Amino acid sequence: MGSRSLLQRREGRAAYLFIAPWIIGFLVFTAGPMVASLWLSFTDYSLVDPARSVGAANYQQLLEDPRVAKSLANTFVYAALFVPLGTVVALALAMLLQKVGRASGFFRTVFYLPVMTPAVAAGAMFLLLLNGQRGLVNQVLAWFGVTGPNWTSDPAWLKPSLAVVSLWTVGGSIIIYLAALNNVPRQLHEAALLDGAGPVRRFVSVTLPMISGALFFTIITHTIAAMQMFDQAYTMFYGPQQKSTASDESLVYMVYLFQNAFEFFKMGFASAMAWLLFVIILVITVIQVRVGNRFVYYEGESTR
Amino acid sequence: MTTEVRPVPPAVEPPSAPLTEPVAPQGLSPAGRRRSLGVGKVIRWLLLLAFTVAFVYPLVWLVGASLKPKSQVFDNRLVPETIQWSNFQEVWNAGPVLRWLVNSVTVSVMAAVAVTLSSALVAFGFAYFRFRLRGPLFGLVLATMMLPGAVTMIPVYLIWHQVGLIDTQVPLWANNLFGSAFYIFLMRQFFLGIPRELFEAARIDGCSYLGLFRRIALPLCRPALIIVFIFELQASWSDLLKPLIYLQTEEYFTMPRGLKQIVDGFALSGEYHWEIAMAATLVATLPMIVVFAFGQRYFMEGLATTAKQG
Amino acid sequence: MGFGGEDEVGQSRIAAFKAAYPSVQVTNNKGDFDAQQFLTALASGNPPDLVYMDRNLIGTYAKKGAIVPLEDCISSQKVDTGQYREAAMKSVTLAGKVYGIPEFYIVTTNLVDTTSLQQAGVAVDDIQTKDWDALKATATKLFKRNGNKLERIGFDPKLPEYFPLWATANGATIIKDDGAPNLNDPKAVEALAYTVGLIDDQGGWTTFKSFRDSFDIFGEKNPLSAGSVAAFPMENWYVNVLRDFIGQGLKLDSTPFTNHDGAPVSMVGGSAWAIPKGAKNPTAACAWAKTMTDQATWMKAADARIAKVKKDNSFFTGLFTANKPADEAIRAKYLTDVPDPGFKRAIDNFYATLDSAVALAPSPAGAEIDAAWRSAVTRALSGQPAQQALDQAQKEAEAAFSKANGNG
Repeated sequence: MGSRSLLQRREGRAAYLFIAPWIIGFLVFTAGPMVASLWLSFTDYSLVDPARSVGAANYQQLLEDPRVAKSLANTFVYAALFVPLGTVVALALAMLLQKVGRASGFFRTVFYLPVMTPAVAAGAMFLLLLNGQRGLVNQVLAWFGVTGPNWTSDPAWLKPSLAVVSLWTVGGSIIIYLAALNNVPRQLHEAALLDGAGPVRRFVSVTLPMISGALFFTIITHTIAAMQMFDQAYTMFYGPQQKSTASDESLVYMVYLFQNAFEFFKMGFASAMAWLLFVIILVITVIQVRVGNRFVYYEGESTR
Repeated sequence: MTTEVRPVPPAVEPPSAPLTEPVAPQGLSPAGRRRSLGVGKVIRWLLLLAFTVAFVYPLVWLVGASLKPKSQVFDNRLVPETIQWSNFQEVWNAGPVLRWLVNSVTVSVMAAVAVTLSSALVAFGFAYFRFRLRGPLFGLVLATMMLPGAVTMIPVYLIWHQVGLIDTQVPLWANNLFGSAFYIFLMRQFFLGIPRELFEAARIDGCSYLGLFRRIALPLCRPALIIVFIFELQASWSDLLKPLIYLQTEEYFTMPRGLKQIVDGFALSGEYHWEIAMAATLVATLPMIVVFAFGQRYFMEGLATTAKQG
Repeated sequence: MGFGGEDEVGQSRIAAFKAAYPSVQVTNNKGDFDAQQFLTALASGNPPDLVYMDRNLIGTYAKKGAIVPLEDCISSQKVDTGQYREAAMKSVTLAGKVYGIPEFYIVTTNLVDTTSLQQAGVAVDDIQTKDWDALKATATKLFKRNGNKLERIGFDPKLPEYFPLWATANGATIIKDDGAPNLNDPKAVEALAYTVGLIDDQGGWTTFKSFRDSFDIFGEKNPLSAGSVAAFPMENWYVNVLRDFIGQGLKLDSTPFTNHDGAPVSMVGGSAWAIPKGAKNPTAACAWAKTMTDQATWMKAADARIAKVKKDNSFFTGLFTANKPADEAIRAKYLTDVPDPGFKRAIDNFYATLDSAVALAPSPAGAEIDAAWRSAVTRALSGQPAQQALDQAQKEAEAAFSKANGNG
């Protein structure tokens, strides 16, 4: 305590004042419920009767239930498909937008429109568009001589279908990348050009490092979101009209969790599932942060 | 230490080299200019067009579907064979839609304002100050994003029940007074990019911490503020789950909840009125589209202003 | 909670209740039954007084104690449970106690597109489910494809939803009366193998399903009008939808869905009113359920429906209420003339199967058993042998059943 200077102590106090809103909210609305759900994961809670303690039975069932492993695998595959693809597509579109000048306002709205469309309507539309027999996507593919698969009924193509639907809503990331790209100092590009760097070299050595912070943010948040994906899968494959034909290939983790919580009356087990997911996401994020710290370019902290 | 998140956000222009235009240059050498005027530009525009079509088509279809009679909704035509404006009439008449619109606006704006301000405050705390618990606490912030909301939903509901605020709109936005991990993370990235010299200079001039926040950090990161506001506005506007479990009185409903009532009301004994559902969806979505179309202009201006600040 | 009641049949009955009980204030949290909404309210001690849900959920919710037995309600309000059809009552009774008041009765019969049949030279009577081998031949004759694209399905067995129907028609009881699962009964396996075979002969599951998904069930290009399906078993409400398309050339006909002896068989669907645990005003809730479903109220609903039908210049297609005397009275009074003979046969077939329709026995593990056979059917459709698929389902279902029973 004595080794900290007065400045540091004052900074510390001020910091806590700034952070106070989050801390209060955390203690009231987050910590309590998180602890409650952890406790629930050791119980059998049907939502109708009070929770009954069952020790580690839920966690044991996590290991034994084949659907848990399957849904986890499905979710991983989906995330592995969507996160890289989504990042690349969003970045590419943001870069395209940057060079458009005044019309970019129109395009920004266009690309963000899908984000504003309610998931229920989007699910219905994509079921139509992706239909293997009559959907527009396969019709367009046919123009190029490609026979499209049965996107929505062939078990092998269900996760790619979900990835396609999710790709449609990357508008938010496009906007974030656009802000980041626009903040790359012009004279860096100019200097690179003077040095004779071509567009690819400029991209790799100037653009990428300068936006690496935004990339870091979006990759981490996209991964977390992908592991928790629910809306798309539920509205496309598990809504009331589709439910009976759902294949195990499209069962993502959150859908199975939801089913356990609200259809099978096993809220305790669902809570255990949630905490398992929490640990998994935590591990993945830690790995991503460590890798990120090596590749992300430090600039704004040059005076440290 | 190694888990502390210290990435670099998009760098904000240091005062010595003002950017006159926020757009990256398009090839300065004559050869480069000639190149980009040719194939590159055409390809660029083609790609943009292709993606525009891909992104917009479902929405255009939605507009078309909302104007079709039930028997034509799924006939794959963009332009309806028969235009049935009465779908909207039916939606409008089926409930206090105007009231719901007002409710949605109120709730979303309050939610967005609350979360933008609180997240900015908290993010600044994590970005500027150096204190011992900074790393672990920020890790905790991130961790709150990792637990699925489905399992904390019921304990949270119970909390609101204890306070007696079920069947009011308060639970729909009050959580946002305390910041939200996603936005805190985002804003922190932006704040971290502000060069320390700016702050030091202001401190020497006797600026308070709050002053640093208000006069330096916020203005320089206006695009981030706008992004957060718009994202949260959109998220709160389209949220169905919270109104579904917290609101019981029809008058307090927000648009998504109200529209669910209308659509379900038409879908009796197995007949599902898709045309009503599509019209309802359009009514729910249109306000946000309008807001965004106009709002994103300010976002662009915000970028330009940021760059001009010396 | 869970009741929309927006159409004339619902509105007229709500009005009847309000007239009979003017002092009771009714708040209707409108919208379809949503498990999250209901269970959250229940878990926090704030349940609605009355909930409206699908009858096949009643067993599970009853076993979990989410809804309460209605013995008191029935005796104090003098509800005559005898007026409700047996199959409907069976769905809402668990361990001898009644948990719901049934409303609506959804049955199935075969609907046929005569135009397609004529094109292929098939007689309407060939659409029959008595002789399964003959049916297979008929379906293949009606099936049409163009390379990779299907053009017409001959006979759609409606898997997975209708698996219980086929199993029952073959003589199997997939859920025993005490709720125990019996999914791999040899007759059920036979039914599954047969229907999967039907689908395999008509394009294979993934193509078949994509084609079926692309149907516009409610539109002009509905599968029967467009000739995408020549015949399939379908529920009674669909006739209302099809009625609109007579003017556009739809030639409908119907044959009963029968078992191997030729007797009509159907599964039954429908909803029920139930009282949640912790409801604060069960008496009024009970009065509501009783009034909504008694004969006098149904007659008023039928009146409203007839008025609407006259206004729309259309014809009455029957009202299936789960209340037997009401059904018969309504039929006698209003089902007077159906202009289109094909539609008349369809409506008659629906009415004919009312008495013989069966419901699956409710089970404490109802939801899990349902999930088990559904995924078994999906697996079978994707290639797993029927026996294996149902054996696995039976194992899962039995585990769930003993767990559910073990918890008292």
